Amino acid sequence: MGFVVTVAGVSVRRPPAGAEKDCISVKQMTRRGRMKRFRRHGQESHRDKLKQELYQFNKTVEHGFPHQPSALGYSPSLQLLAIGTRSGAIKLYGAPGVEFMGLHEENAAVTRVFFLPNQVELVTLLDDNNLHMWTLQAHQGLSELLEIGRFTLTGPPGAPPSVTRITAVLAHSSGELLLLGTEGGHVFVVEVPGFRELEDKNISLEAVQTPEGRRNLESVEDLQENPLNPRQVLVGYGRGLMVLWDLDVNVPVLLLRQLESVWWMPDGEHILSSHSDGSYCRWMVNGEDTQNEPEKEVPYGNFPCKAITKIIQLPTTRGPPFLIFSGGMPRASYGDRHCISVISGKTHVALDFTSRIIDFFVIGEGERQKGNPSALVVLVEEELVVVDLQTEGWPIIQTPYLVPLHSSAITCSHHVSGIPLKLWERLQTAGKLQKTHYSSKPWPLIGGKNLSPDPPQRDLLLTGHEDGTVRFWDASGVCLYPMYKLSTASVFQTDADLNDNMNQGLEGEWPPFRKVGCFDPYSDDPRLGIQKIHLCKYSGYLAVAGTAGQILVLELNDESLEQSVEGTLVDLLQGQEGFRWKGHARLEEREESVNFPPGFQPFALIQCQPPAVVTALTLHSEWKLVAFGTSHGFGLFDYQQKNTVLVRCTLNPSDQLAMEGPLSRVKSIKKSLRQSFRRIRRSRVSMRKQHTNNAAKVEGAEALQEMELAPVQRKIEARSSDDSFTGLVRALYFADSFLSDSTHNTPSLWAGTNGGSIFAYTLRLPPTERRAEEPVTAHPAKEIQLMHRAPVVGLLILDGRGAPLPEPLEVAHDLARSPDMQGSHHLLVVSEEQFKVFTLPKVSSKMKLKLTAVEGSRVRRVSVAWFASSRTEEYGENGLVVLTNLGDLHVLSLPHIKMQVHYPCIRREDISGIASCVFTKHGQGFYLISPSEFERFSLSARWVVAPKCLVEAPHQASTSSGKHHKSRAQPDGVAVGRVMEHALLNDEREYFIGCLTQ
Amino acid sequence: MNRSFKSQSVRYLDCNAVEVKSKYGAEFRRFSVDRVKPGKFEEFYKLILHIHKIANAEVMIGYADVHGDLLPINNDDNFCKAVSSAHPLLRIFIQRQGTVSLSTWQKSRKRIREEVDYSNFGTNTLTRRKKAVVTLRNDVNRKRPQIRIGMPQDFRPVSSIIDVDILPESHRRVRLYRHGSDKPLGFYIRDGTSVRVTPHGLEKVPGIFISRMVPGGLAESTGLLAVNDEVLEVNGIEVSGKTLDQVTDMMIANSHNLIITVKPVNQRNNIVRSSRTSGSSGQSTDSSGSVGYLGVAAAAATAHSFIADELESDEDSDIVIESSIKRPSRRSNASSAHSRSHTVTPVPPSPPQRPSSTVSAASCHSQSGLNGTAHGSLSSRLQRDLCLPPHQGSSPAFRESNGSLHKILSAMRTDPRHSLALPQGGVEEDGTVITL
Repeated sequence: MGFVVTVAGVSVRRPPAGAEKDCISVKQMTRRGRMKRFRRHGQESHRDKLKQELYQFNKTVEHGFPHQPSALGYSPSLQLLAIGTRSGAIKLYGAPGVEFMGLHEENAAVTRVFFLPNQVELVTLLDDNNLHMWTLQAHQGLSELLEIGRFTLTGPPGAPPSVTRITAVLAHSSGELLLLGTEGGHVFVVEVPGFRELEDKNISLEAVQTPEGRRNLESVEDLQENPLNPRQVLVGYGRGLMVLWDLDVNVPVLLLRQLESVWWMPDGEHILSSHSDGSYCRWMVNGEDTQNEPEKEVPYGNFPCKAITKIIQLPTTRGPPFLIFSGGMPRASYGDRHCISVISGKTHVALDFTSRIIDFFVIGEGERQKGNPSALVVLVEEELVVVDLQTEGWPIIQTPYLVPLHSSAITCSHHVSGIPLKLWERLQTAGKLQKTHYSSKPWPLIGGKNLSPDPPQRDLLLTGHEDGTVRFWDASGVCLYPMYKLSTASVFQTDADLNDNMNQGLEGEWPPFRKVGCFDPYSDDPRLGIQKIHLCKYSGYLAVAGTAGQILVLELNDESLEQSVEGTLVDLLQGQEGFRWKGHARLEEREESVNFPPGFQPFALIQCQPPAVVTALTLHSEWKLVAFGTSHGFGLFDYQQKNTVLVRCTLNPSDQLAMEGPLSRVKSIKKSLRQSFRRIRRSRVSMRKQHTNNAAKVEGAEALQEMELAPVQRKIEARSSDDSFTGLVRALYFADSFLSDSTHNTPSLWAGTNGGSIFAYTLRLPPTERRAEEPVTAHPAKEIQLMHRAPVVGLLILDGRGAPLPEPLEVAHDLARSPDMQGSHHLLVVSEEQFKVFTLPKVSSKMKLKLTAVEGSRVRRVSVAWFASSRTEEYGENGLVVLTNLGDLHVLSLPHIKMQVHYPCIRREDISGIASCVFTKHGQGFYLISPSEFERFSLSARWVVAPKCLVEAPHQASTSSGKHHKSRAQPDGVAVGRVMEHALLNDEREYFIGCLTQ
Repeated sequence: MNRSFKSQSVRYLDCNAVEVKSKYGAEFRRFSVDRVKPGKFEEFYKLILHIHKIANAEVMIGYADVHGDLLPINNDDNFCKAVSSAHPLLRIFIQRQGTVSLSTWQKSRKRIREEVDYSNFGTNTLTRRKKAVVTLRNDVNRKRPQIRIGMPQDFRPVSSIIDVDILPESHRRVRLYRHGSDKPLGFYIRDGTSVRVTPHGLEKVPGIFISRMVPGGLAESTGLLAVNDEVLEVNGIEVSGKTLDQVTDMMIANSHNLIITVKPVNQRNNIVRSSRTSGSSGQSTDSSGSVGYLGVAAAAATAHSFIADELESDEDSDIVIESSIKRPSRRSNASSAHSRSHTVTPVPPSPPQRPSSTVSAASCHSQSGLNGTAHGSLSSRLQRDLCLPPHQGSSPAFRESNGSLHKILSAMRTDPRHSLALPQGGVEEDGTVITL
């Protein structure tokens, strides 16, 4: 505590704001330098130390589904799942909370992922034909995913690259061999880890003898190991030849069809082969029968079918085996479906996915996963689907992670920290009712131990989607878990079919399709898209605003309710003349009453006229007011009395673009079409010229070169009030402050526009007992025009202590100190270019910080966050978290608006990432790194939500209860090899290392 | 001829006397002042009033310098300068003050010359280009009303070269003043490569260049920037390592007071170092043939006092409009100017003692007559009132707000929504107050 006091004292003694004010002077640099010299060293180091305790930047975890997955791997012994992506990332998932992520240095797609059987190593194959070895290394009790080696297959000198182009990989069950089948038809054997080529073990084309003599076998399509006899390997060649390779003997099996994949059944006696014509065959391995070609089966027969790309069959102890294969659909009628067929006895289902199938595997029961198949895990391009194979009807198991955030495109997001338990539980209950069609089985992937502590509080992330839904995610911990889904579409009349018949196949349809997965990117009506969300966590009121100027106020209700929602039309133009809205029409509300399930139910609807996108929204649950803004103006609505309190048009009469609405885009298409036609004509003319005149050709080429070299230019022009969309409302803020005089605080509404204007209104609220009868009134109090005319992106009032005013009801719930009403309040205006603090009630500039003028960056996102010290419990500071258009994060102190720290976070080219960023109240944030993934970052040294987990090697796990001697005695190949290696280096640590490397 | 010779000889004999020929209206007076000790401007001013028997009127005093340009005398410095540079005699022109018009005013000396030619000053025998003017004079009198020229402090500089003393000769730091000017800044920038001398030899580095000038724009009219000039700094911040978009944003953010350091592509017009010995004290050198620079030097001289001011306080003077809560009716009729009181206070130039953003109410009852003024003349009246002393043109805020006031005014005419009620008696601030 003593420390804190001194710190506070020091900060007071720092040079006052004025002294350090960044006057734009050409001598700024030198002046700053001088300033620094005058400052006392002690103060600086104190502050620096404090900064280290408060701020720390980490990108902690990625939520959602990896973008463009390209490979799937699974380790039955570790119970871990691995996904490789086209951008070279590799992600491992086990039990909820257990996740690892790695990134290849090369920007190449991961084509295969293999765990080495019974080990913590995995191997990835990239499409640049390099193999990479990764391991989960334990470090201070936590596992880390590390790359430990890479390998490129080198063929004989002079050989074409196809000889070494890897097309199939088999990680041998011994864990020490990797068999690599290539495009040239060779199989190379490599010892792992270490990637040592064992040339004498290679299966070369020359060694494969066929009854008809040598011929081109084409590439190696598949490699499978005999589940019972690890010395036997089956090699499937593209030309349809399968070769059973034993240590010395090889038994060739001739096929004549194009081969897609082979599967060795767990009994070791049967082999399944699938083919490009949609058929599969069952082969016996024992004895001479292998020479006889079995009968081929075509599951979706008669008409030509597409290839079966992968086939597996697993026995069950109780009944018929499971035959699972992907593809094989009738080419003409269902060739475009992405299907996996599951056949067990009489039950036959063709699981119909909404995106391309990458790969699948089956999880078995029991410790070694050799028991009955329990779950089918399918990775499709846009989601991961897990099918419960043991429950009747094979329902889907809800994934606790890897959720497709983008099942409908995300249009906005909103984060609420510290949800009260009551609201949390009610949300959970409402959410559970929506999940009844999911399997009740627990999540089958349980590898690794989640060691991260329980989240300190309950956080909600709300995402708005293009189809008019709002999804509530539990964002407290490492796993972003879906809690509840709210659909606003039912309020409006749309063409959308409300009856979700996704899961209903037609009776007697063949193949027996069943739609699975929730990825559905097609929105029936883009006007339904959610643009702004505001949730009051104390009262359970939710305001949601959309693309067609619709604002819904919803309340959490535990009972279902049948009602019709009446809309209130608000004309934001206020009789402005010369306006013609060319955009979309307003959404029509449903006239008949609609049954709303338990959860958030709408009770007020506001429709803006013109129906432009809602650009700002805020709700004050204590005053029961909601404020909204569009590009035309803003309004204030009393949702208790359901009437409009205030409407203000912010349009600039000369702003033609805003007048016309968003469809002016059409014009530009027309224009661009015209231009492109002109270009074609010009090029034709120049071509003609080329024929006639050679000199003209040269000229034309020069002109072309000049055109290509024409540099990107930027116009330097001061903003004028005539610029377009100056009236667009960017920020709305409710505050109880001193607007008219310094003795009486009044409720007020603040609005900031794109043109740098700020409008302040005082609100008069009737006393609580007459709240329902007396009208709420609003009176204009102030207008501020920022001279630099930059868009106002944030408004905030700081109380007498320099702390931001608390949220509505926060004080009433005893969760915040009541604001200091004794000292003078200040208004903080954040524009895209500057931070300015004004005094209240008399508005005069007190201090400012210029961002754009100094750094050339602009504010994109701004939020207040509480930074707690990582060292002591008592100390913390409010800070302003800012994301700029360059993707940099800044933390500014409050109330002195001084730069504290800055970190580069998002690539500046990643515009959608920057636009999607949302901050939490405790210095964390989320932004989209792809349409389906949120990256979570933390600026706070105290609050860090990052995966902390441990994955132990399977042997270690089984022998951890005092069987160490045995495990050492076992002639375990790799471990011993590694032990010997290390023993040469250090005798004493032999055992320890041996243990680790297992 | 004889007289002039005589005066010459007098000057040789008594080096301290400077012959002064003073003209007020059609009257001439001749007297002399001490060259070494000319005394205070105040005394000189009183002397002038006395000699010409001007009573109860403010006058402006100007003199013709060696180049035939009309320069003002309004303080000790330029009085001193006028006396010391008189060769052989000091020609003084006196004009009655009070009819100052805020004409579109350019600090460029060239423009001054032109305006002088067309003004009532110019009709006198002032310039050496008299003959050329004579032909013009007749149509001038016929065609356009006579434009009077205000005092230098009423004028607004458009551009200047600054920090000549600290910059390398190959660089040029140009300051563009956009305040209130209806001219666009008017230039484009692009990416490019420039060659730098580094310890490792010559190295190609990315740079930002001026790519285009908008005809008639401020940048072009100054003549201080040219296409292909490399931009090195913007308001003291180096642009190296910044993207084109960043630099664009920086320039736009500073557009009200843009200082760009360039490396001109044409290095022949550089300011010669020897001429900077006097710093920016206003010594205009004739060494360079470029009119633009001369103008700038002169501008620096006259505008010097408030340039410093602006450097210190480039506060963006935000306009704050307050309305009284007691007047609930916002639906006032646009046609009645009386019912609608509009109070706008641009922020004073913000020397430290003044608040930088002020809010004000109707303290100017004396100007209440304005309320009845017809709409069409509002803006011109407003402008005139805005340039009342003591703030005058030296206030950047005023210049800044000038344009936006126009906007407000024009908006008001069309849009009654902007009208706000007038706060009654809530005036605490001093500073310029405009009541509509």
